[in-house]
Amino acid sequence: MYQALLTRRYLTSKVMPLLSMAAVLLSVATVLITWSVMGGFLEVLLGSGRKLIGDVAITWPNVGFKHADDLVDSLEDHPGIARAAPVVATFGLIQLPAAQVREVFIKGIEPESFGAVTDLPASLWWRPIEEPTRRDTARLDPRLPENTAPDFMAWTLNNGLSMTRPDDRTGEPTPAAILGITVSGMNRRTEGGGYEPLAVIRPEASGDVAFEDVFMPRNGEIAITVLALDSGGRPIDSVTRSFPVANEFQSGIYDADSKTVLVPLEGLQKMLRMDEARRLVQRESFDPLDPASSAGELVTDPERVTTVLVRGAPGTDARAVQAIARDVYAEFAGAHPGEVPDALSVNIQTWEDLNATLIGAVKKETGLVLFVFGIVCFTTVFLVLSIFWSMVSEKTKDIGILRSLGASTAGIAWLWLRYGFALGVVGTACGLVSGYLIVTNINAIHEWLGTTFGLVIWDARVYYFTDIPRVVEPWRAVVVGIAGVMTCVVGAAIPALRAARMDPVKALRFE
Amino acid sequence: MTTDQPIISVRAVRKTYKLGRVRVPVLHGVDLDLAPRECVAILGASGSGKSTLLHLCGGLDRPDKPGANTPPPSITYRGRELTTMRGPALDRYRTRDVGFVFQFYHLLPELTVLENVTIGAMPGHGRLSWLKHKPGAIERAKALLDAFGLGHRLRHRSAELSGGERQRVAIARALVTEPPVLLADEPTGNLDRETGGTILDTIEGLRDSMGLSILLVTHDESVADRADRVVRLIDGRVVGGAGVDPPVAGGGAARREPAGVPSGKGPHP
Repeated sequence: MYQALLTRRYLTSKVMPLLSMAAVLLSVATVLITWSVMGGFLEVLLGSGRKLIGDVAITWPNVGFKHADDLVDSLEDHPGIARAAPVVATFGLIQLPAAQVREVFIKGIEPESFGAVTDLPASLWWRPIEEPTRRDTARLDPRLPENTAPDFMAWTLNNGLSMTRPDDRTGEPTPAAILGITVSGMNRRTEGGGYEPLAVIRPEASGDVAFEDVFMPRNGEIAITVLALDSGGRPIDSVTRSFPVANEFQSGIYDADSKTVLVPLEGLQKMLRMDEARRLVQRESFDPLDPASSAGELVTDPERVTTVLVRGAPGTDARAVQAIARDVYAEFAGAHPGEVPDALSVNIQTWEDLNATLIGAVKKETGLVLFVFGIVCFTTVFLVLSIFWSMVSEKTKDIGILRSLGASTAGIAWLWLRYGFALGVVGTACGLVSGYLIVTNINAIHEWLGTTFGLVIWDARVYYFTDIPRVVEPWRAVVVGIAGVMTCVVGAAIPALRAARMDPVKALRFE
Repeated sequence: MTTDQPIISVRAVRKTYKLGRVRVPVLHGVDLDLAPRECVAILGASGSGKSTLLHLCGGLDRPDKPGANTPPPSITYRGRELTTMRGPALDRYRTRDVGFVFQFYHLLPELTVLENVTIGAMPGHGRLSWLKHKPGAIERAKALLDAFGLGHRLRHRSAELSGGERQRVAIARALVTEPPVLLADEPTGNLDRETGGTILDTIEGLRDSMGLSILLVTHDESVADRADRVVRLIDGRVVGGAGVDPPVAGGGAARREPAGVPSGKGPHP
């Protein structure tokens, strides 16, 4: 029982244990903050990776497959599937207003079904600001010039949702494209992480510079060029078509935001010759001398798509949706033998599989950062060890006194282990509380650091998230807490052993 | 000679310390007896081995193993051999059967006076066992401190006490489990003559009132003169007799309790 009494007294009357406690506090808080921020970063990234894919993608690239409507219907009939959306995906070139040409990834989509499967509607960048910012107390959008019509953003959002833009002359809605936010290079990233449109600067022959008032969702237009393939995958022709820009999206994935262009499905199918077509099938029994016989029969080739995106019903995870999609596709392939790729050949991948490289890299990075911080924090063990070693030396006489009073060697060892445990518990608890408070207020703290000291640790122009992401999960706090306490106990173990093995006579004579 | 069997008996005890590669013999076959209710002073110069002998009697140290030509050492307490006693039994012996008092008091500076005394009763108790014995231990500690005139300083730290007060707290700690033997190592060595005299009065009073057996180590002839019997230790050897002599008059053949000290040998707190 003397252990409890002395632990209490040593804890409250010595400076050295406070140093150990501070070391544990800092270590625990550091690891918790790192893990929470990196975990949050990964979570936001994963969410972004899912934004334009949904749960599962069934893909037969380039050539595509027929009867996608049947597949979509079959999928949507399954209770585990919420929606499915046909998509045509291909590579192509885009010509921008400043006469730049870039290679891009082009997706032909139906806005309604694609929006239901993915998070595109929420990813559309040009939309009314829902929460007024500090600079936006009058609910004026800081992204737009003052003379812009107040309902401009609502108009742009509607255009994005319908993938149309009213024709400048007739007012009739015409099919329009949605660009990744950095595809055009005409949006400047601000310190706050937002985007503001840039004016197009065009050098003139006279040496002057002309500013052209182009704002992509208002009057921007792009031309895309794709290579049409026949159903055997052989190139037919290159096709170019102009699209007005309806809106731009920000998914948070750099590749998607810088290289993806969304256009209406029907338009892209026509460009790629993947739309419904009629062709003549020659008859073998054709007799040119017989007026009653005809040269052939006109047959209709159904339209083709390269991908069907699938979103699972609420509560169904991506792997379960993948399993359902495999089953449904197998039935679908059985119903259309020879017309669609067989079930073993077609790619049926989850959004995680499709982003495996990126997700794997971030997961490894998170692991690496935690490992490095873990190593750094492991030095706390040695700090505690050295402090306890010094304290045992300082308390040598106390150990001799206790032994003279009948304390056992195990009792002395337990005294120091218990002391280490108590320090660990107090230090860890303070560390967890500090870490939690810092993590939950990290953006406010960051903002304060920026305004007070000019420190910008998280530059929103570099990252895709305007706020520092963070996720404080209880199990992480538990793991960090146990590690923090163990750090102290392990650090105290060797000094405790030393104290226990101390010769009581020598301890009593210690000066 | 008294017919009382010695409460502590030491026979043929040798002790050698190692200082680096050098072996330093401290005790050369010492014999000593301590009778119940007897106060024996071990008188010797510094380095004569008197503290070592006290530590051996208190179970804090073990004698050398017997050599080819030396008899096996023996230290017995009420007939129980200490030299072969295992760790837990020796721990119990130190808690219940002997109490130590040191020259430099050896109080724990973080504890109050009351805690310094009570902690003497804590070793050997688990949480539940201590809960049961705690009230008795505190009552006993308070009674001892009251008897030593420290009842008003229970919440003080040792740094706030004078040397004499600290030594009285140390004596109270040694006696809180009511051991039959008090082992005092130069208890007045760090005190002025007047305060030292008061401490010796206290020890004598305890011997008389509680029937304590006292083994007192000193280098001071005047302190040794107050004991029932003096054993001179010179260079690790007892000079003259070391057996049991009759206790002096007033040596406490009949056990008496000091005022305010709870009576009897009840269950150890």
